Amino acid sequence: MSLPNITRLPHLRLLSSIHHQQLLLPFIPPLSVPRRTVIQGNYRRPGQPKDDRLPWEKINFNFSKGLEGIKKQFTLLKKEFTDRWVGPEGKPILDHMLEQNQVVWEFRGPESLEQWTVSSDSEIGGQSEVYLKIGKNNNTCLLYGTLSSTPPKDGETRYSGYCTMRSKQPLASFDRKKHFDWSNFNTLHLRVRGDGRPWMINITAATYFSHHRDDMYSYFLYTRGGPYWQDVKIPFSKFFLTHRGRIQDNQHPLWLDKINNIGFTLGDKVDGPFQLEIDYIGVCKDYAHTEEFAYELYQGKQSS
Amino acid sequence: MNPYVLAILLFGLGLGTTITFASSHLTTAWMGLEINTLAILPLMAQHHHPRAVEATTKYFLTQATAAAMLLFATTTNAWITGQWDIQQITHPLPMTMLPLALALKIGLAPLHAWLPEVLQGLDLTTGLILSTWQKLAPFALLLQIPPHNPNMLIILGLTSTLVGGWGGLNQTQLRKILAISSIAHLGWMILVLQFSPSLTLLTLILYFAMTFSTFVVFKINKSTNINSLATSWAKTPALTAIIPLVLLSLGGLPPLSGFMPKWLILQELVAQGLLPTATITAFSALFSLYFYLRLSYAMTLTISPNTPMGLTPWRLHTHQSTLPLAVCTMTTIALLPLTPLSITLFTP
Repeated sequence: MSLPNITRLPHLRLLSSIHHQQLLLPFIPPLSVPRRTVIQGNYRRPGQPKDDRLPWEKINFNFSKGLEGIKKQFTLLKKEFTDRWVGPEGKPILDHMLEQNQVVWEFRGPESLEQWTVSSDSEIGGQSEVYLKIGKNNNTCLLYGTLSSTPPKDGETRYSGYCTMRSKQPLASFDRKKHFDWSNFNTLHLRVRGDGRPWMINITAATYFSHHRDDMYSYFLYTRGGPYWQDVKIPFSKFFLTHRGRIQDNQHPLWLDKINNIGFTLGDKVDGPFQLEIDYIGVCKDYAHTEEFAYELYQGKQSS
Repeated sequence: MNPYVLAILLFGLGLGTTITFASSHLTTAWMGLEINTLAILPLMAQHHHPRAVEATTKYFLTQATAAAMLLFATTTNAWITGQWDIQQITHPLPMTMLPLALALKIGLAPLHAWLPEVLQGLDLTTGLILSTWQKLAPFALLLQIPPHNPNMLIILGLTSTLVGGWGGLNQTQLRKILAISSIAHLGWMILVLQFSPSLTLLTLILYFAMTFSTFVVFKINKSTNINSLATSWAKTPALTAIIPLVLLSLGGLPPLSGFMPKWLILQELVAQGLLPTATITAFSALFSLYFYLRLSYAMTLTISPNTPMGLTPWRLHTHQSTLPLAVCTMTTIALLPLTPLSITLFTP
């Protein structure tokens, strides 16, 4: 609308013109299915081919697979019941008391990769690539790829260039979420072989409120590039709280009795290939480490 | 916490329970319960850790639901019978809803699911207040409501003792174990409520003494799981020697005081002709005894081999008063010979 039209005073004809305009709009009946789902389909991970089949063609009814699924869930349920007779979490109490080290994830075969998921900024349209495979001799896992910090051309993203690997949350019978209980331990022990890049280790714990969903406890992992393996021990008291990548002012220690996932992220703004080889990830109890939380919260005395 | 705020909250806790004790009108009783709930919420969330806030929220939601159910039963009773007296409830609907609302308040099975999670999110002192003081007011009401549905209370009690036994088998977290032990003890108390309310009161008082001792010992040792309990021999050797007796008293072993309520309750159940109930309850006590025994085993009967001798924790002089702990521990261990006296004192 040009400027002189706006400055004209509205009169009755304007009202009728509005009414007339509305009649020109097509009548959209309310749908039971949201419109966007019908047109666009559900979220498609970048790199995966488009699935243009009609909904009834996507049904995959496999009786034997269903039976296998039922058997698996009931086996897990039976294991949950019978484990209690052995001891807490299926281990005798003496094992709990004597345990000073526990290997939580180790990569000894292709099936160990199923517990992990990788992601990179190609999800938002960037150009990084990340792959995960089992290393030589089925003894390690290799996270490799290329980092590219070119931001996607969508007009709103300013920074880009990250790759990450995250463990899947353990599931009990019938897909209920299970948590790791690491309250007997106080240190994270990793055996890694990196390429000199600085990585970030992220641990997520169980949350209740939806605004805590993206709460993560992070710490740095500086890798040496050499051919020698690196044993990294990070006390859990050093992990600081971040939310969606931003360090929070109100810090609190990580509670170890309900841990969900661990993840490794690379986002050091350096373009180029990267590699991280992990042998195992474990937790251990260091009796000499008595620090409860590394970061203090001061309420500074205000000068009057 | 600001000492004035702490004083107000503790005063509010005391006030709430006292109002419920002193009330004969159902609405006044409900008010006392609400004051109790509201006063403890800031105490629970004072550390602002997300888990503490989660525990506070879960506690608030369950207690508010229970209070709403209580108020609904109250108003239904007033609508039907025209009066608000606690001891004159006659219609079956409020007489069924009131015990259920109070069962949710104290955490009886099958309304117990909130208790382990809530206790796990709290520090030990607030957990102690939750396990002991917060049970007084609902029990004051439960003792006054005339019994209507005998089966309901027995089912609540049996389920609680069974859940209290079964649920503790998988736990290594001490606060969850104490929550589950609370469920079991409350089950024992409810079983005998309609036959001998004085026995319920006796069990409640002894349960307070036992739980107080346990919580304070865990607080002194700063331990929240079985593993850290295993190194308590290096911190407080004298306490480590006495605590198995407290734990076995919780489990109901003679010749400790914890046996007294269990014995008298079983005797009363048998006298009322409820032999299968009594047998099932006695067997479920074995489950509970198993995990108390496990705690004593971990704490006293083993010396953790992987504590390097050069790194035993500092034995710092504790600043908290040990007199309450001493009194409660002696009550927990040594009072069984006074059973005839307690029968005389508690029977009308």
